Amino acid sequence: METSSTTKLSFGQRLLYPLPLIVFVLVWHLATHDNKERQFIFSSPLLVAEAMERLAKSGELFTNCQVTIMEAVAGFALGTTVGAIIGLALWYSRVVAEISKPYITALATVPIFALAPIIISWFGIDIRSKIALAFLTTVSVAIVQSYQGAMSVEKRFLRLMQVAGATRWQTFKLVVVPSSIIWVLNAMKLNIGLALMGAFIGEFISSEEGLGHMIVKASGLYDQATVFAGVIALIIIALILTFVIEQIESMLMRWKTV
Amino acid sequence: MSAAPPLLTIENLCFDFDGQSEKTVNALELSVKKGEIVCILGASGCGKTTVLNLIAGLLKPKSGSINLQTESGKRNSIGYIFQSDALFPWRTVEGNLKLAFDINGKLDRSKAKETMQLYLSMFHLNPHVLSKYPTQLSGGMRQRVSIIQSLMFDPELLLLDEPFSALDYYTKLSLEEEFCNLVKEKNKSAILVTHDIEEAVSMGTRAFIMSGGKLAKEFHIRKKSEADITRGSEEFAKHYREIWSELKTIISG
Repeated sequence: METSSTTKLSFGQRLLYPLPLIVFVLVWHLATHDNKERQFIFSSPLLVAEAMERLAKSGELFTNCQVTIMEAVAGFALGTTVGAIIGLALWYSRVVAEISKPYITALATVPIFALAPIIISWFGIDIRSKIALAFLTTVSVAIVQSYQGAMSVEKRFLRLMQVAGATRWQTFKLVVVPSSIIWVLNAMKLNIGLALMGAFIGEFISSEEGLGHMIVKASGLYDQATVFAGVIALIIIALILTFVIEQIESMLMRWKTV
Repeated sequence: MSAAPPLLTIENLCFDFDGQSEKTVNALELSVKKGEIVCILGASGCGKTTVLNLIAGLLKPKSGSINLQTESGKRNSIGYIFQSDALFPWRTVEGNLKLAFDINGKLDRSKAKETMQLYLSMFHLNPHVLSKYPTQLSGGMRQRVSIIQSLMFDPELLLLDEPFSALDYYTKLSLEEEFCNLVKEKNKSAILVTHDIEEAVSMGTRAFIMSGGKLAKEFHIRKKSEADITRGSEEFAKHYREIWSELKTIISG
């Protein structure tokens, strides 16, 4: 029986990967290539490619990508680590976990847009405020996922540890943490996008560099091609970071695939 | 010469799950000597597993006493083998077997490999299995590893909750035999909860039928020093008939 959540594709099926993208670009091109008005609103694949080439040559694209990646990765690492530690540690006390619930829910439900001006006024418009926003968007997901993981440890493992005379710390270290890894990895996957969003929102509201800044500036000038170039860069960054997480996952979860 | 004191003595043990009017375990008495395999049979839900959980310390008795008189006096003198194994899927077999050393710092880690090899050969497992993950093993192999995992803690009393029930017939027979040999060779004691009368007769020194929260009827199958009773022999059939007849009466109420 196939137990993996992803289906293994044959070589022929894998060739289908770019098909939706090709269709999308083709439709976009056909709808805009000979219509200046539409190009002004929707830009066009060729204009976007030209904008990307221009931005890459000037170094603007890479500099902005670098800043956004740095903010997102730092916020992601901080948020996921702190969240995972808190979430797993809540396993120690059901009372503390219960009391923490409304606070975690509050943190998870407050729109980051609402917090962004406060955070920027606290940390300034430099990289620190973007890291803080990326941290805030990711920490609650990591807490919830890790806590769920810690509470979902199979009873038979806990019974074994109890009969073996293991201390609570030994049970935590030898059973709770390793069996929650899959949940932490899921949090990491979700948090990649959220960290980018946090960093982007920070740049969007107030910044001097980064992809968010580049997109806001370009949209102010009705330069849709640059806006699309920024969006594409964001997508590529998200895909690369997700790929990295997937590699970490396959390394840590090797036992699932043997 | 005075007889050695029993390894386990249970007196007047009572337990009920909250909200239940009837006691699951009601004034239960039992003593287990060193080298014995005591089997507990009974209808589903009669409290057999609860008794094992009480002995293992997974449940707290409402009253009565459980006294384990171990030679070493160590805290983990009990090994519990469940119906489905409790092998950690993220650890290799070797990692699972070394769990005892991760938990009990007093165990001599330098002897780990030697002890593992000994038990592997006792349970007819190839040493190559050490590098495998539990998901790569068959049900029988997993249960063998699970038993060895418990033995690595060097327990004096082993609790077995229908450990062979999910296995195919031939694997079950060989595991029963291997387990009995181990108990003899290492002078361990065991309490086996089972639904299988054949299993009780072929493995047990004594068997009990549990009913009404008590060990209602006791059967002496063999002395621990006696040879195994061959399946299909007249003696085997006699014990089988006795237990089944009593069990039938109790189940039919």
